[in-house]
Amino acid sequence: MSGTQPGMSEPLLVLDNVTKNFGAIEALKGISFSIGKGEVVALLGDNGAGKSTLVKIIAGGLEPTSGRMLFEGKEFLAKSPAEAKAAGIETVYQDLSLCTNVDVVANFFMGREITRKFLGVAVLDEPAMEQVVEKALASAGTRIPSLRTNVEHLSGGQRQAIELNRFVHFGGKLVLLDEPFAALGVEQTRRGLDMIRQVARQGIGVVIITHIMQQAFQVADRIVVIRQGVVAGDVARNKTSPDAVIDMITGETLAGAGPAG
Amino acid sequence: MNPRTRHALEFVLDNLVWFMLVFVLVVFSISIPNYFQLGIFANIIEASSVLGVMSIGLALVIITGHMDLSVESVAALSAMAVGILFCSAGIGLGVQLHPEWLMVPVSLLIALAVGGIIGAINGYLVVKVKMSAFIITLASYIWVRGLVLVISGGRSAQDLAPAIRWFGIQRLLGLPLTAWIAIACFVVFSLIMAKTPFGRHLIMIGGNETATFRAGIRVNRNLVIAFVLAGAIAGLAGWLLAIRTSGATANLGVGLLFNAFAAVVIGGVSLKGGVGTLPGVYAGVLLLSAINTAINLMGLPANFTQVIHGLLVLAAVLLDAFKQTIRQRLA
Repeated sequence: MSGTQPGMSEPLLVLDNVTKNFGAIEALKGISFSIGKGEVVALLGDNGAGKSTLVKIIAGGLEPTSGRMLFEGKEFLAKSPAEAKAAGIETVYQDLSLCTNVDVVANFFMGREITRKFLGVAVLDEPAMEQVVEKALASAGTRIPSLRTNVEHLSGGQRQAIELNRFVHFGGKLVLLDEPFAALGVEQTRRGLDMIRQVARQGIGVVIITHIMQQAFQVADRIVVIRQGVVAGDVARNKTSPDAVIDMITGETLAGAGPAG
Repeated sequence: MNPRTRHALEFVLDNLVWFMLVFVLVVFSISIPNYFQLGIFANIIEASSVLGVMSIGLALVIITGHMDLSVESVAALSAMAVGILFCSAGIGLGVQLHPEWLMVPVSLLIALAVGGIIGAINGYLVVKVKMSAFIITLASYIWVRGLVLVISGGRSAQDLAPAIRWFGIQRLLGLPLTAWIAIACFVVFSLIMAKTPFGRHLIMIGGNETATFRAGIRVNRNLVIAFVLAGAIAGLAGWLLAIRTSGATANLGVGLLFNAFAAVVIGGVSLKGGVGTLPGVYAGVLLLSAINTAINLMGLPANFTQVIHGLLVLAAVLLDAFKQTIRQRLA
């Protein structure tokens, strides 16, 4: 399954029959797939297929009802986003996770501020943080007038750029992106896709949820389709076509079967 | 608009309450005879120490996007605990410690602990039971005041031990030590909010709690700490109150909550959370105190104070909305 490309056979994260019920509703009926190191997996599916639920389970925002996960070969269950983050899992959510009442630097370093000791007390090292953000944004070609402006004054694209640059900078081992380009323009989206490839080259696994078939085919090594809470398709990108994937999303092919074309 | 005027305008907006304070002081100094005296200004600072300390705790919790209505009753309970233990008349037990100065840290610790415990109860209920902080602390506001009545039997304690009262009498640069304690609290907590990761996290939690949770900040832990701090600071306010009145009565500090509220809102803290600074709150406290002093000097009946405070809160909220519109224009 995951060994579709040479050199990427070592699985980073394995999901084994993960389910999630919300009361009587079965959002996930048993999801099994794996992500290799340095692999980009596009997670596709119709609205309500359970993609965001799955991402939240991996990222520690939700606990699964049953099933298990292996991260780097070890049993893994994040009870909070803090735990997932400590394990090396970064997440960019669909609805932006920024605090608009503070500035760009504060958002970039949210939860992992650089500090220095002053009279034995850890205080924020603003110049150091500002320098890092400046460098990170410049190398990604993102222009933000002042790093000290509150995020509420920035455009949707600029906000998303902060989040994207944040995961590129902090990296970790696995990155989950839930519709990361929803607010981005054409050029920024292209840069975003480049960023994803660049991150994957460093050996980081990437899961990207998207609605746009073209983006999935541009960036992914493998495409996993979820339909009605189960994996309806798991194929290497170069062995499938957009039409075949659409068939899997809408349910024209049997669950689990790869497309012919 | 060129960047310089824009910066200037933003600076004015950020520090509006300080400009208002200076404006009010200047107007009063010109129009009210005898207002312009060092003694009067010292009195403004002195009279605002209890309210100021209490406002710090309230502001902390409001900045994190929650509410603490219990601070006034908590201060009264702490004052009553100190009063009963260390007063020698009324219901005071007249506990003596040797050496005498030992009574200072002991009474202070008791006041802080009483406040901290109630703050912990508030915080625990808000975080674990996930009830609205408004309702939980409203309940605390009522039952804690009830507790004050129960343990005092409605009577009062007088004649606080001189070793403790020394703080209210001893002066440094024309201000009693109690006022310096309030100023020190503002400095320390302003620095915590502006310079430490903890303060930064509180502000961000007030801005977007979900985002901070996802970013791995331990939101619940931070919230409980904020409530405990608010309680302990209210306890400190109670300690100062006991010193100032040299004892404690069952209705001590009634009405302080709304003054603290007024000071926090006038100081530029948004009730929606995430916005506001402690220096601003201090300016709000001083502004209220300056107006009170003016009312006294003009010989107006004291009852006017409440009307004016109410109007000030309204003005502050309107001003906040106005500032928002200007900021949006600037952006």
